[in-house]
Amino acid sequence: MSNTIIRFENVTKAYDDTVVLNNVNFEIERGKFYTLLGPSGCGKTTILRLIAGFIQPTSGKVFIDDKCVNTIPAHLRPVNTVFQDYALFPHLNVFENVAFGLRIQKVKEAEVKERVANALKFVNLEEYQTREISEMSGGQRQRVAIARAIVNRPQLVLLDEPLSALDLKLRTEMQYELRELQQRLGITFVFVTHDQEEALALSDEIFVLNKGIIQQSGTPTDIYDEPINRFVADFIGESNIVDGFMLEDNLVSFANRSFECVDQGFNQNEPVEVIIRPEDLEITTAELGKITVQVDSILFRGVHYEMSCYDEFKNEWLVHSTKKVDVNSKIGLNFGPEAIHIMRLGETEAEFDKRLEAYEE
Amino acid sequence: MEQTKKWFANGYLILVFVILYAPILFLTAYSFNSGGSMVGFDGFTLEWYQELFSDTRLLIIVLNTLVIALISATIATIVGVAGAVAIHNIEKTKYRSMLLTLNNILVVSPDVIIGASFLILFTMLGISLGFFSVLLSHIAFSIPIVVIMILPKLKEMSPTLVDAAQDLGASQWQVFSKVILPYILPGVFAGFFTALTFSLDDFAVTFFVTGNGFNTLAVEVYSLARQGISLKINALSTIIFAITLALVLGYYFLSTRKKPKTLGGTD
Amino acid sequence: MKNNRFARLALIPYALWIVIFVVAPLVLIAYNSFLDIEGHFTFANYGKLLSPVYMKMMFNSFFYSLIVTAVSLLVGYPVAYFISRTKHKGLWLILLILPSWINLLLKTYAFLGILGTAGPINAFLEVIGVGGQQLLFNDFSFVLVSTYIFIPFMILPVYNAIEKINPSLIYASRDLGASNWKTFQRVIFPLTTDGIMSGFQLVFIPTLSLFMITRLIAGNRVITLGTAIEQHFLVTQDWGMGAAIAVVLILVMAIVMFATRKIIK
Repeated sequence: MSNTIIRFENVTKAYDDTVVLNNVNFEIERGKFYTLLGPSGCGKTTILRLIAGFIQPTSGKVFIDDKCVNTIPAHLRPVNTVFQDYALFPHLNVFENVAFGLRIQKVKEAEVKERVANALKFVNLEEYQTREISEMSGGQRQRVAIARAIVNRPQLVLLDEPLSALDLKLRTEMQYELRELQQRLGITFVFVTHDQEEALALSDEIFVLNKGIIQQSGTPTDIYDEPINRFVADFIGESNIVDGFMLEDNLVSFANRSFECVDQGFNQNEPVEVIIRPEDLEITTAELGKITVQVDSILFRGVHYEMSCYDEFKNEWLVHSTKKVDVNSKIGLNFGPEAIHIMRLGETEAEFDKRLEAYEE
Repeated sequence: MEQTKKWFANGYLILVFVILYAPILFLTAYSFNSGGSMVGFDGFTLEWYQELFSDTRLLIIVLNTLVIALISATIATIVGVAGAVAIHNIEKTKYRSMLLTLNNILVVSPDVIIGASFLILFTMLGISLGFFSVLLSHIAFSIPIVVIMILPKLKEMSPTLVDAAQDLGASQWQVFSKVILPYILPGVFAGFFTALTFSLDDFAVTFFVTGNGFNTLAVEVYSLARQGISLKINALSTIIFAITLALVLGYYFLSTRKKPKTLGGTD
Repeated sequence: MKNNRFARLALIPYALWIVIFVVAPLVLIAYNSFLDIEGHFTFANYGKLLSPVYMKMMFNSFFYSLIVTAVSLLVGYPVAYFISRTKHKGLWLILLILPSWINLLLKTYAFLGILGTAGPINAFLEVIGVGGQQLLFNDFSFVLVSTYIFIPFMILPVYNAIEKINPSLIYASRDLGASNWKTFQRVIFPLTTDGIMSGFQLVFIPTLSLFMITRLIAGNRVITLGTAIEQHFLVTQDWGMGAAIAVVLILVMAIVMFATRKIIK
């Protein structure tokens, strides 16, 4: 058995004239937690529905276990889904909802009882077997939906923004539980979300999608630290992005000054985009800073203050700091060479990976 | 000020409802009149009820009416469920609204038009007028109302429920029988009972398409009423009214008492 | 479930029904309206419709239907409004629907007794000194009984429209300084036009086609389109003429549906 469970080969999905997924290729390995991350309409749910079999690709092939499943209907695929609205059957109680798939498979009653009880135990709902769905809270419904999916022992669980209807506290709690559940079960989870924090916290691998194309894939730290383009940088966390150009290896120019950096492999004077994360900026006095900015507004975010500042070239600089400064005051910003991330304009994921590999050696 | 308004509102409602029930109560009262007409109350008697129950012809007509209603409502419900599911699954809005328009024609058509056109239809097809033609007509005019009662339920159902069932391994038939049908069941019942009501209440269509030897209650009452007044009819209306009243009020109290708890569960 | 074999299979019986019982009857009515009593093709039926006798009949029919619809609205609107303001809405609604489970022939039959010369209304008129009146077999009795029969069909859609109004709209209107009456006039009533239009459809069209009330209660004093159709189909056996009148009725129905739908939109 190969380690790849899902493979997309040149998959395109279009409705009438709208292309929602454009020639997508990727592989998903067994036992890992994957996240499809992107804004609404980016095609992430389409990928999920293609895997589940609710829709068929317009062109290209979807493989499960190295078998092309394009013509296999949803009810015969070894995957189960947790839906955004949970899709619990309102006419069945908790037990019967979870037992639904087992009953379809005509599993023996004693085994049904045991497996349902186990699945509910997994999600800490063993006391709720006879409850009606209408009597369950949002978080509890969420767990029933998860139990209903895992009780069938699928090789792959698809989760379509399952936490989006929950409040912040419950959401964080469920994130821990989901991660733990995936590790305990050891099966593959494919999780869809538009929440970058959720993606970073949960995943082994993240696929960032936009406009029907996978922009970048990699581990959370890869994607956070080395975003491939402006979209990814903007979407994953807050970023300051300014235009600049590479003077030579390890030296970049922006805001009318040159700075030491750790990026290589560019042409001389190649125009680039420069990213510095707000938390990598350190506040100092105007005289000591590498760049000088004026504070425009300040917001208290709880863990830190968020300052919006402008330099003399009208570049906006977002700064996260536990220090508070006065609005309209002039401050200096300091940052080290590692804080600077350089993005080549219009670089594809393959080129990007090649360049990274070249200078990492 | 508020108080007088409330009195006025309640008074108005009560007045209208008294008028609404007056004819029925009037019929009921005179069904016990020994005088033999709906003029002057001479004394209490159950004579008309006795006469009613010994009138086999009339009893057979009542039975016919019930049989037609039950069979037609059942068949109309089955075809109506199929129709609603079919309409719901049409993806092109244009075709869907075209089917819906066709569906609604019989709902808004006046009875006379339905009766007259069915009369032409049956004559042309060589179907003799009687039980069968009446049954077919009742099925035909009940189907669209069943569809209308079920469609909103289908619309309200989240499409992910169907996805979820498929995802859990249900075949198309299982999706229908285990998820869709239970979900739309209230609509199906509503459709069935409305079809039943339409059938029991129909006069005009039946009047057109029935032949000699087969009558429903409405047609019979029409011919009796044209001849004059018979208190047997009063007795019959009273019994029908009592049964409906019992059924409806029973249903009402059961449904208000058994209201599902909407408590949000506690963790 | 979209576009699957099961749904396509379900379409078969339903489509059969549409073809046989919706499309075919309409075509047959239209076809028959061009046949004379011997079955020859003719335009004569439509010619006759333009004669004064038929024009007057049609005008009368519309006139009385409009009156019945108007009276239903005037009496029924407050009922709908008051029910929506009561505590036990469900019970009132059931009480409203309940009489419609009694066959309308039975209720019509009751009016024969109530309105009769020796009936309770006349007795009451005698007592208050107005003296006995012939209440049956005239246009008054037609309007009264028709309104009685159809008023629930006006009340229900209006009630539904009132219930659909978001209560915060009423609070908003009060908040903006409108009195109860102004709120009703400027907010509630305009928002219930849909309901009134449905009620109009449900009362106006059936009243046009009533025939048993005209026969039993109105003593043929009021001839509706429905009465004329019944007369031609079942009494004089002139199906062609009956079908021609039916075509007129269908056209009126289509126009009313179209016009009211436009307003609803």
